[in-house]
Amino acid sequence: MDFELRYTPEQEAFRKEVRAFLEANIPPELEEPVDPANLSYEQYLMRRELGRKLGERGWLFPTFPKEYGGGGLPMELAVIIEEELDRYGLSLPPYYNTGGTLGAPCILVWGTEEQKRYFLPPILKGEVRVWQLLTEPGAGSDLASVKTLAVRDGDHYIINGQKTFVGSLHGADWMWTIVCTDPNGRRHENLSWFMIPADLPGISMTPLDLLTAGGEGGASPGAKFTVYFDNVRVPAFNLVGGENNGWKVATTHLELEHGGAGSIRRNRIVDRLIEYCKTTCRNGQPLSKDPDIRDLLVECYIDAEIGRLFNLRNYWLRHTRRPRTYEGPQASLHRKVSGLRIAEAIVKALGPYALTNDPAWDPSGGHLEVFHRASIVATHPGGTIEIQKVIMARRIGIGRAVREEAGTVV
Amino acid sequence: MDLALTESQEMLKSAARTFMERECPRQVLLDLDRTETGISPEVWGRLARMGWLGLAIPAEYGGEGAGLLDTAVVYEQLGRGPLGGPHFSSAVLGAQVVLECGTEDQRREVLPRVAAGEDILALAYTEPDYGWGPESVKMTARRDGTDYILDGVKLFVHDAAAATHLLCVARTGDGSDPTAGLSVFLVDRSEPGVSVRIMSGFMAGLCEVRFDGVRVPAGAVLGEPGTAWSGLNRAFLKAAPVLCAYKVGGIEAVFEMSVSYSQTRVQFGQPIGRFQRVQDHIIDIVNHLDAARWTTYEAIWKLETGRPAEASVHLAKAVASEGFYRACNSAHEVHAGIGSVRNYGLVLYTKASRSLYNYLGDPKFHKRRLAHALEL
Ligand SMILES: Cc1cc2nc3c(=O)[nH]c(=O)nc-3n(C[C@H](O)[C@H](O)[C@H](O)COP(=O)(O)OP(=O)(O)OC[C@H]3O[C@@H](n4cnc5c(N)ncnc54)[C@H](O)[C@@H]3O)c2cc1C
Repeated sequence: MDFELRYTPEQEAFRKEVRAFLEANIPPELEEPVDPANLSYEQYLMRRELGRKLGERGWLFPTFPKEYGGGGLPMELAVIIEEELDRYGLSLPPYYNTGGTLGAPCILVWGTEEQKRYFLPPILKGEVRVWQLLTEPGAGSDLASVKTLAVRDGDHYIINGQKTFVGSLHGADWMWTIVCTDPNGRRHENLSWFMIPADLPGISMTPLDLLTAGGEGGASPGAKFTVYFDNVRVPAFNLVGGENNGWKVATTHLELEHGGAGSIRRNRIVDRLIEYCKTTCRNGQPLSKDPDIRDLLVECYIDAEIGRLFNLRNYWLRHTRRPRTYEGPQASLHRKVSGLRIAEAIVKALGPYALTNDPAWDPSGGHLEVFHRASIVATHPGGTIEIQKVIMARRIGIGRAVREEAGTVV
Repeated sequence: MDLALTESQEMLKSAARTFMERECPRQVLLDLDRTETGISPEVWGRLARMGWLGLAIPAEYGGEGAGLLDTAVVYEQLGRGPLGGPHFSSAVLGAQVVLECGTEDQRREVLPRVAAGEDILALAYTEPDYGWGPESVKMTARRDGTDYILDGVKLFVHDAAAATHLLCVARTGDGSDPTAGLSVFLVDRSEPGVSVRIMSGFMAGLCEVRFDGVRVPAGAVLGEPGTAWSGLNRAFLKAAPVLCAYKVGGIEAVFEMSVSYSQTRVQFGQPIGRFQRVQDHIIDIVNHLDAARWTTYEAIWKLETGRPAEASVHLAKAVASEGFYRACNSAHEVHAGIGSVRNYGLVLYTKASRSLYNYLGDPKFHKRRLAHALEL
């Protein structure tokens, strides 16, 4: 066993190459705004530009097959790209793109060869940004009950319905969308996925005013919308994974969204908190010397370490193609519940300072205040705390006659 | 024993509830939440006309002389809103400080205007080294002839942006005993050198208040200079349970929202209230509600009947603050996505539960005091 990511001389050479590339291609203005709701259009465009440049080299989706525009790289090199981006507070992709990170693996597993050749290169090369459209006003946890309807009409489908809590600031090119293709069909046997160009006639949207819009992991969306489909004609070619086979496709999508992708990143907020408490003096001594605050900091550290290891393990499981059962939702569950615990610990440790982003009085530069709001909201996207537990139980083999398998991922 | 409200208290409660339903429906509260002060002149005027700004002020000083329990009954309904603004800071906490620390003349001068809503008080107590014990007040007032000069920063001051007058607590004497040497200054907010700035963040009505060489006459000191602590402490003990009652109202509203949502929201072909994991959250909320309610009302009863109440007040404040905070978290779990949509209204409570968590001392502060009161 070896927890250390070790690097051969070739890998270290690769790191140098990545580092030099990033140094040359990440302008300082690209830095993440503290509150993702403040990401400007210019910053967004810079991120897209960086994405395209990474994509040209196959570094945007490094482990995806080369033939579709991925990097064809082994996990060890993908880790290096992630590590180097992490130094800038960025991840892959460096902008909100859940329809890409979750849709592309679905297309790879479930798409026809033709569809892979058509849809994957633009995603993997960073030419398009894609949202994921699952949730509807009447279908959140119960995703299988979506009502947005796609009806076949010659070479097209006509789509009507409404999705909510979806999207991000500054628009999308495509929408990776689950719909019902047989209103009279049996549950789980009446769904299909479409890749829908966002500029088709009949698509409109309104913004939601949220406590904060983050929490799906990866780059934060900054905003969420309700999207309306009014007689939208979508080519039949854009139905991925077979008509009424959408639930199987969804297992791949959800497995990844529920934490199965893993990650090598650390919990930055706990690092920030510890730094804050070491450098901020109250009553003549650093906060970190106060015995109560020390205890709270250690609790937060423990939560962060457990989370880091769950994610590290999942990353390893995914990239070494080992079998998984409950590990994905376990990491997701831990992130959500520890987020609430850490937020409360920060309030206890720092009092009202935990809640202010006042420029004159907030040494964290707004990070703690944003984290507080995000910790509440982040318990919902990608499946609530309760749903993560439901899935874990099924995967462990309790609560259902047949033990549920983990979704197929790549 | 009788844990029920009296008939007249029931009437007061239903009047307050009706007022909130009619005058402060959700949309009004959402609009008020976007203001700096959390209140509008119209709503403030109506609170004054109902007599609710004078509830905790004796009749001889222009108030209703209603007592703490009646006050709490009304504040519970305001908390259900939740209606923000300076009502508690001014008409309860501020008024109690004047009552407990001021001279007879000062009470007669200040309190009728507070009861009428014409003057609005805010207590400028906490400082950058945040805390609610006497040792946390470090700002000093310098004597200059017959005047005092106030210099310093007060931080996280509740409702100063709405206030006409600040009750600034500062040291006029020194010595090793932190409870000695404290004075309360009544300062008109428009005095030269006073500046008030609302602080941004996930909180409502908290302000930075700066005193830059503010000159006030000796008569601005409430009572005898240097002796304010015991009066302040009594005022805190009397005001805290009213703040708790406000939180009880908040928890109750969040409980009702969660119950009704769990009965109407259908997922997997059934109301989500059927899921035991959802039930667990709602049961947590109702446990917080009843714990906060009964610790609060027992503390008030002890205060009103002249029993030793200190331990009970600290108990109530620790329980209610923590309860409100966690009840809101649980309500967010019950509601999932929709609960984070600002217009839905849950976020108003969540923000209040955070803003008020530290007001008059956070749970840790009160647990320490409780341990002390229990002679542990
Ligand atoms: C910030 C944010 C970003 C989001 N981004 C996206 C996005 O990009 N794309 C997208 O499609 N969606 C997105 N969502 C929607 C998100 O996936 C849903 O909010 C989530 O799945 C929960 O659905 P719901 O809000 O409808 O809650 P509901 O499903 O109505 O849940 C209400 C309550 O019932 C509980 N519950 C439901 N079923 C069960 C059960 N079987 N057992 C026990 N408890 C149960 C839930 O846990 C919760 O406590 C986002 C949401 C948020 C808040």
